Amino acid sequence: MSTSVRTNESVSATPPPIAKAPGWAVSGSPLTAHRSPLLLFEHVSKWYGPVLALNQVTLELTGGITGLVGANGAGKSTLIRLATGQTRPTVGRVTVGGIDAWDWRARLLVGYCPDHDAFYEDMSGREFVHTMARLCGYDRREARRRTEAVLDRVGMSDRADRKLRGYSKGMRQRVKLAQALLHDPDLLVLDEPLSGIDPVGRQEQLELFRSLAAQGKCLLISSHELEELEKLTNHVAVMARGRIAAVGTLQQIRDLMDDFPLSVRVDVDRPRDLARRLLDVPDVIGCDVGGEEGSVVVRATHPRRFYEAFGRLVVEEMIEVRRLEPLDDTAHAILGYLLGGSGKT
Amino acid sequence: MGQPPLIDLHGITRTFGAFTALHGVTLQLPPGRTGLLGPNGAGKSTLLKILMGLIEPTSGSGRVLDQPLGGDRDSAANWRLRRLIGFMPEAEALVPGLTGIEYVGLAGELYGMSRRQSQRRAHEVLGYLGLEEARYRNVEEYSAGMKQRVKLAQALIHDPPVLLLDEPTSGLDPAGRDALLNLVRELGTDHGKSVILSTHLLADVQAVCEQVVILAGGVVRGQGTVEELCARRADRFKLRVQGEVAKFRDDLLGEGVTVLADNGHGELRVAVPAGWSNLAFFKLAGCNDVVIRALVRDDETLEELFLRTVNA
Amino acid sequence: MANPTDALLRYRPWRGNLRGPLNGSWAMARVALRLMFRRKLFWALYGLAALIFFFFFYGQYLVVWIQLQTANQTVSLAGLQVRAGDLTRFLDRLALNGSAHTFGNFIWFEGYIGMIVLALAGAVLVGNDFHHGSLPFYLAKPIGRWHYVLGKCLGAAAFVNLLTTIPALVLFVQAGLLYDWKSYYLEHGREFLGILGYGAILTVTLSLLLVATAVWVRRTVPLVMVWAGVFVLCRMLASFLVDGQRLDERWRLIDLWNDLYLVGLWCLGAEWDSVRPVDQPQPWEAAVVIGLVCAACLLYLRRRIQAVEIVQ
Repeated sequence: MSTSVRTNESVSATPPPIAKAPGWAVSGSPLTAHRSPLLLFEHVSKWYGPVLALNQVTLELTGGITGLVGANGAGKSTLIRLATGQTRPTVGRVTVGGIDAWDWRARLLVGYCPDHDAFYEDMSGREFVHTMARLCGYDRREARRRTEAVLDRVGMSDRADRKLRGYSKGMRQRVKLAQALLHDPDLLVLDEPLSGIDPVGRQEQLELFRSLAAQGKCLLISSHELEELEKLTNHVAVMARGRIAAVGTLQQIRDLMDDFPLSVRVDVDRPRDLARRLLDVPDVIGCDVGGEEGSVVVRATHPRRFYEAFGRLVVEEMIEVRRLEPLDDTAHAILGYLLGGSGKT
Repeated sequence: MGQPPLIDLHGITRTFGAFTALHGVTLQLPPGRTGLLGPNGAGKSTLLKILMGLIEPTSGSGRVLDQPLGGDRDSAANWRLRRLIGFMPEAEALVPGLTGIEYVGLAGELYGMSRRQSQRRAHEVLGYLGLEEARYRNVEEYSAGMKQRVKLAQALIHDPPVLLLDEPTSGLDPAGRDALLNLVRELGTDHGKSVILSTHLLADVQAVCEQVVILAGGVVRGQGTVEELCARRADRFKLRVQGEVAKFRDDLLGEGVTVLADNGHGELRVAVPAGWSNLAFFKLAGCNDVVIRALVRDDETLEELFLRTVNA
Repeated sequence: MANPTDALLRYRPWRGNLRGPLNGSWAMARVALRLMFRRKLFWALYGLAALIFFFFFYGQYLVVWIQLQTANQTVSLAGLQVRAGDLTRFLDRLALNGSAHTFGNFIWFEGYIGMIVLALAGAVLVGNDFHHGSLPFYLAKPIGRWHYVLGKCLGAAAFVNLLTTIPALVLFVQAGLLYDWKSYYLEHGREFLGILGYGAILTVTLSLLLVATAVWVRRTVPLVMVWAGVFVLCRMLASFLVDGQRLDERWRLIDLWNDLYLVGLWCLGAEWDSVRPVDQPQPWEAAVVIGLVCAACLLYLRRRIQAVEIVQ
């Protein structure tokens, strides 16, 4: 698989784009004042016996929502386990806010929402969260206060008295999120938080994540549901075969993939004329008019330059563009290319 | 066409004590690939159980491909019904300790095939689904994608005209999901099977199905092809831009365009006034040193349709 | 995954006759047997069972040989001259002479081993289906729920028979060949029926008990505990109460294994006085207890099977 994607060293040095838009205000937490990244992996490798799960992973998170995507077996769960301090790296260091992740003090900063449910099915939701609060070390009054606060945050206050056994998938997710929020952590690690939830519940979960990020928390979400992830965030870390294949915004990653020229669909009244004109643009390497009626699919390198040139061409020639749609720069397509597929469904 | 409808339901109601799961569901589906959508508690699983003859409707009648519904679940009529349907369950549903070929062979014999036939056919089906090399390994050792495919194999073994798939892509990574959906679509288009896909993942439905049925609160709220159901909004567009977005937005407002949403990384949803020409977008972009990377009409997506239908 | 040959080796339709649900039950029984014999852990127990069989087999031969040939001759043992008859006196207790007690004892021993294997394998055979989610696999097929139970019971039954009835029949044939076979088979016809009867009772009781307990507790350790409670603790308790505390012999009825033994001996036509230990309840009382246990299992199964859900 020879894509010339610049990996770890250069791309991950770019911090995620935070706080440019309204609603993403950074909280006044003392941690951000320290300037150490919330989650830092430094050349981490991890073996389980002879099996290499993580291979020289370097990752830095300072805030916002980051998606963690990759095929099954790529090392995502190992990475999460290392970040939450469940295991130690064989080589390298994992730190949370400057503290080694294995240290118990680091757990104060991390909230973990695992993908399996490990509930005591006989308890009610409220009892369960209260028990977790007590386990965190809070006394009874504080635990009760926090339980109510957190159940309110996830929207389960009225439904939390039924036994966990009868909960739907969406309700279970909320309870898991609630217990992760008990100690008000700065870093939330979520493993497959959207699986098995119906679209209505999924919207509510996404809203919740957005509001948590707006509060200033850093979220690391591992998910297979790329469409939903794209709605939430632009910043992803792609894992493959135990390594971080790429980190950055989807646009950055796509723009780096020189081996795979961008395919863009353009709908105009006279596609062949447009095709002829486009072939004069230096970045265009091919035009396809055989597809849908009235459309031409352009293949181009250097996306940004191409778009600039295209914009100028449209204004010069007064072309009425009905549609301009890149066909393969969704997270799905990018993942497909990176993992050796064709990028198409 | 003369083909019997896939499902023909009239007033199907099902109550469980005081709770009504389905209220008078009336539905006709032609053969083909259909997605069954609905929030939790909408009655989807009850409907599936009724279609498979596992529970009786409290009232109403229906047929699946000319086979009537109703009657005790252990009756011969319902066995005939289940022979028509290949069901791929959401649950794990494997028999640990058996190899792939033995598991699928057992499924075949449970459907009523003879031992020889079942064995031969199991090899064929596993080959078609790409599990040829793994068929002599134990099923509990399979990866998630392989497990889903072996479940599909056991649903296909007796070559049923109807496939009922319950969350077929759960737990699969994107590549595995694409592969499975391709297989399902192919079974529908090339081999003439009717598929009913019950899932929460709207993207799956869009990739595979011609029609959708939206169920909520025990009633059918919407039925038809995606094109028919999704509203076309000729005056709304989705824009993706790169560069100094703030000034660009202000200029748009100046031209009478309403910005409906802005996600902060350059994706805008706008509503344009009458008589608008898209050229204006490019002109404004050129003035503001902004690059337009995408411009698509903002028709209703399946998700918006779903939320609109369910919340009505 | 896809390569050019895959496109050529396309899906082929299948048309054929589908048989009834009993085909499925029989397939389930075969699969159950296969699963039991596949576990390497049990081979030690199977070895023990085989050892017992060969012991009885050669023991019968030895006893006959000694009685007829060398009873009064002496054998040199560590320098002393011992009469062969004295040496083999211990074998008399085992009654290896083709009588009712021979077969009764044999089936008792083999049955005990079979019971241990079933306790260990029960979770694999039945329990897994519940907690692994394999039930949707079975019940979505055109079989009734009782066919499912039948399939499991048949598997356990076949196993018990393989271990008890069939080797006992071999011993029966051997005994006839060793003695005067013309008269042996005619005179001991009752033993033949008795073997079949004891085997049948063991089979039915153990399979029902296994399926019911496995449906109840589902996992190996609780299953083993329940069976140990029924077959080991109750035995010890019964022996304590009757032999130790000198209570009424009817207290022995709580020992299910003993009840099975008594009914078996009655089928075989053994004389009542030769049963050890003495003070045993009447066979009909034992039969009543066995009947009650079987009925309880069936009722429990009926209740549980009603409540099975296969689509969430």
